Amino acid sequence: MNALLSMAFRNVLRNRRRTLITLAAVAVGITAVGGIRGVLNGLQDSMTRGSIRGTLGAMQVHRTGYLANVMSTPLSLDFANDDALVKKVLAVKGVTAVAPRIQFAGSLTLSATDQDDSPEALFFGATAIDPVLERQVCPDRWKLFTDDTVFDDTHVVLGDALAAAFGAKHDSEAILLAPDRDGSLNGELAQVGGAMRAIMPGEMKIAVVPLSLAQKLLRMEGRVTELAVAIDDTSHLEAIASQVRAAVGPEFEVHTWAELAPERKTIMGIQNGVSNVVAVVFLLLMLLGVANTMLMSVLERTREVGTMMAVGLTRGSVMVLFLLEALVLGAMGAAGGLAGASTITFILAKRGIHFTPPNSSMEIDVYPFMTAAFTVGVMFAAVFGAVLFSLYPAWRASRLRPVEALAGR
Amino acid sequence: MALISLKGIKKTYRLGQTDVPALLGVDLEIEAGEFTVVMGPSGSGKTTLLNIIGLLDRADPGGSFKLDGEELAGRDFNEMASLRNRKIGFIFQSFNLIPVLNVRENIEFPCLLRKEDRAGLDRRVELLAEEVGLTKVLHHRPDELSGGQRQRVAIARALVTQPEIVLADEPTANLDSATSEQILQLMERLNASRGVTFLFSTHDPRIMKRAKRVVLMADGKLVDGTAAAHAETHASSGLDHS
Repeated sequence: MNALLSMAFRNVLRNRRRTLITLAAVAVGITAVGGIRGVLNGLQDSMTRGSIRGTLGAMQVHRTGYLANVMSTPLSLDFANDDALVKKVLAVKGVTAVAPRIQFAGSLTLSATDQDDSPEALFFGATAIDPVLERQVCPDRWKLFTDDTVFDDTHVVLGDALAAAFGAKHDSEAILLAPDRDGSLNGELAQVGGAMRAIMPGEMKIAVVPLSLAQKLLRMEGRVTELAVAIDDTSHLEAIASQVRAAVGPEFEVHTWAELAPERKTIMGIQNGVSNVVAVVFLLLMLLGVANTMLMSVLERTREVGTMMAVGLTRGSVMVLFLLEALVLGAMGAAGGLAGASTITFILAKRGIHFTPPNSSMEIDVYPFMTAAFTVGVMFAAVFGAVLFSLYPAWRASRLRPVEALAGR
Repeated sequence: MALISLKGIKKTYRLGQTDVPALLGVDLEIEAGEFTVVMGPSGSGKTTLLNIIGLLDRADPGGSFKLDGEELAGRDFNEMASLRNRKIGFIFQSFNLIPVLNVRENIEFPCLLRKEDRAGLDRRVELLAEEVGLTKVLHHRPDELSGGQRQRVAIARALVTQPEIVLADEPTANLDSATSEQILQLMERLNASRGVTFLFSTHDPRIMKRAKRVVLMADGKLVDGTAAAHAETHASSGLDHS
């Protein structure tokens, strides 16, 4: 086998121009596939970070049945925001912070606006947060706020679409109206502290309200509808979520960010699917190139195969020799391509890619990277694929009859 | 017991719809240590006969082919490959060296196929290289050698497995006169010193002059399968020596 492997290496290097062209094709293809995957990894990582550190937290704790009834009775499934419950969650290894919240819906009227034609009232969806504790769970939420935004116990922050609809100014007086948990309408006054960008397309009428104000508005003093939880390592998310579930007991349900925002998982799934299709197409084209090179090699070396058979090489060994050559070609091409892709992702990761996704007003930072699993997978696919696609040329070489092969037929 | 024993060997090629007979029932025995030449005009069946003896091609069913007393009819491809590796050496008109291997590797290649012990092989390759005059070029590639040197490599490769018989198809056809002479002397010496059996197919009258036995072929048959004749006898036989 060593002798055949050594010969395979030399045979690959024998027709240098053709080998270089084949290797270049494989390497460029894998560089492209690796580069695309690297950028996509960075984008998805950025989306995940945005979800976890920007709005959702790594996981959320609700009263059991909350998510199933979120559209009908979100406030009736509230719970006391007591220290005992928070301590139970914080006691779980890996949990770093907990922030109480209330999700509610209401309507908004501004008393003074820049626009004569501003609407009288608009419905909105609000997240009520504790200005201090929320920073420990979703610090990036503040990045969504425009630069001069003030957010404290008396100021609300409006989504930019909502603010634009009203022509809202700083410190405009806002009247919040919302039904409490019993259905009775209540109102509270607040000041507009500023605007915030939507993290996802379609988030038009949103607002962030201080928790204390929301509790007064909804007549829910000391009560909340959810706890947002931050953890130290998202790669252990599922395990930590299980432990939090066990800690809070059956009265509560715990959902990870991916369960809370399945549409983001779906988007990532679609991205991965498209990326995989592109990778497979690239790989097929590369492997057809390898197969063509191997077929030409067999045709050119017929007499040589005959000679090797004459001195005792078996059909199996002939096949192994050509498959080893394909393996060497695939491995060298994959190594070159992965080196190229690593270099590109390294450079891009160092600089970062800053862009604003379509339909979003928020710029995101993407830091491309390749995972070890992807690198190993590409290497395996290139090597295994090269061998697979060279089965026919190798088989053809092995079926030559020595007497005809020696005559070059 | 003869080293090679052929009885009623026939071979027919099919070209399109036409059957072309190449051998029409050849009976031939070759003893160990012979230095035999198969001669005959082009198309007489010399190369076909050597291919069958060398297990590179199969005879039509019906005849008998024994190598060292062992009947070879019906062997599968890999058994024939193994027999070629162990018992038969080949010297080709175009040398047929493997271009990516250097001289040493070309010589030892057949032994590597049977996973021979490295230490013993190294010694044997060096002795052979010395005997055929290749010591100084052991690390050269075939494209760095002259025609004569290449044929010496082919001879060393044919002998390295210590075969029972070496088959040489027109071994001097691509060499100049002086080099041909050297190669012939080398093969004669190896025949005498090592007792290696040589069977040539050739048009070269110089080989015929040196042959201990000449087998004449015409139209797929042996004209005289047993005659031991020296070159002088056949030099004027009217055969095609071109």
